[in-house]
Amino acid sequence: MTEKKIYSKLGEKLASGEFILTGELEPEKTTDLSHTIHEAKQMAPYVVAANVTDSPLGIVTINSMAATHIIQRESGLECIWQLTVRDVNKLGIAGMMMGAHALGIRNVLSLTGDHTALGDMPESKPVFDLDSATLVKLVREMVDKGSINGYEIEAPPKLHVGAAANPNANPVEAEILKIGRKAEAGAEFIQTQVVYDIEKTIEFLTGIKKYNVPVLLGIFPMKSYGIAKGFDEFVPGVSVPKEILAQWKSIKKEFPDKKMQKEAYDQANYEFFKPFISELKKKKLLAGVHCMAVHYPRIFPKLQEVVFG
Amino acid sequence: MTIITTKKPFEEIVVAIKDIKRITIVSCASCAAMCQTGGTEGAKEMAEKLEAEGFEISTVIVPEEVCDNRVMKTDFRKIEEELRHTDAILTLSCGLGVASITEVLSNKFPLIPVFVGTNTEFMGMTERIGRFYMRCQGCGDCLLNETGGICPITTCAKSLMNGPCGGMVDGKCEVGKYEKDCGWVLIYKRLKELGRLDLFSKLRESVNWSERGHQREVVWR
Repeated sequence: MTEKKIYSKLGEKLASGEFILTGELEPEKTTDLSHTIHEAKQMAPYVVAANVTDSPLGIVTINSMAATHIIQRESGLECIWQLTVRDVNKLGIAGMMMGAHALGIRNVLSLTGDHTALGDMPESKPVFDLDSATLVKLVREMVDKGSINGYEIEAPPKLHVGAAANPNANPVEAEILKIGRKAEAGAEFIQTQVVYDIEKTIEFLTGIKKYNVPVLLGIFPMKSYGIAKGFDEFVPGVSVPKEILAQWKSIKKEFPDKKMQKEAYDQANYEFFKPFISELKKKKLLAGVHCMAVHYPRIFPKLQEVVFG
Repeated sequence: MTIITTKKPFEEIVVAIKDIKRITIVSCASCAAMCQTGGTEGAKEMAEKLEAEGFEISTVIVPEEVCDNRVMKTDFRKIEEELRHTDAILTLSCGLGVASITEVLSNKFPLIPVFVGTNTEFMGMTERIGRFYMRCQGCGDCLLNETGGICPITTCAKSLMNGPCGGMVDGKCEVGKYEKDCGWVLIYKRLKELGRLDLFSKLRESVNWSERGHQREVVWR
């Protein structure tokens, strides 16, 4: 077996088998990244790397490659550049891979992307020349073989490429088999959609174990009752358990004092996620945890206890 | 198979032909008749509406298949006199009909503009009259042998080769408010039923667009 090449801190940790935590940053419709950079700095002591989203829900934001570069440069935090196949064709994406490497980007997460029809430019042409599996394959050819479509690249890009998975998918078998395709394409890690249901999660993780790709489990600690409710209502395919919604609602009622309310939310997140993660760790189904709660950096010290404690 | 057409808003047609006086209506007796956009009925309705707007109708013909050059050559020969006194043709057919008419008239009547009174939607499967469904896009590289007879190019909103994507919830697609089935879940269910999940598990290459150029043709040499 050839020795695994390492291009980033994320790549190094995944190869070492050390349990890790990654975060998420969501740049907005702006050229000014100061808020995101501030959040990246707050998160940096706790995470190996943070994802930088690519116009989620088809709502146009600052370009994710540019944002990833600037956040890395300004905050020092390593990033996982999220790239959807929605907006750029194969030729464009191949060029972006070289550009991304030149800009110091060393991790990319391959995503399909929410359809243009859902976002704020629904009249835009949906590209989808590649899909999330063929994008992984394209990156691996560029990185491992140093070629694109068989043509040699003078100085090839060196990036680790990951893919997404949805443990909540129904029918789940279709999703499991799809992960098999992503693994075959060469995905080096998997980051999952947010989960709340432990049984479903175990079933899914057990189902994809055979593909031997390290999995970072997506979780979403909820900063407030409003956030929890919004997440439950607006994120398709993910429902926040009723008991949690009730608990978060009661915290809002019980603690009019903002500071105490914040502490109560943080503690409730800790109490929910601690046993959840512990059980999955015990079953050796995870390589780490991916926290998708954006704009909630204060949770990281507690999350560190959840993940590593 | 039917080329599915729908009626253009009448106001839009009027705007397009506003400088025209005498009009010949060519209404297709085939697909457009089935879609109730053309045929004898469609032509009659259109002629009445245009006359009410002050347009003059030179003549009306209802050819068997407007998209067939041979049919149009024969049918136009019969109305040459009328065509000499017409300012434009309004076609009630699919876009192929417009192309066919323009090409057939290009020698003798190159200056007659051809307008269209319909929107061409797709080539459709007919469940019954008034229920037409897109199931094939004629992409030129049929995958159906590997996908249980269900086309991902057509049924997946993103035309993905390796679905389903994260936009699928309980077998439904994120495009169209989760009302339509996810094409890849349909494929999964069908292949499972047929005991062919091995085909579902296959990693597929992206579409080869070098072979999907514009102005495709099939010409027997």
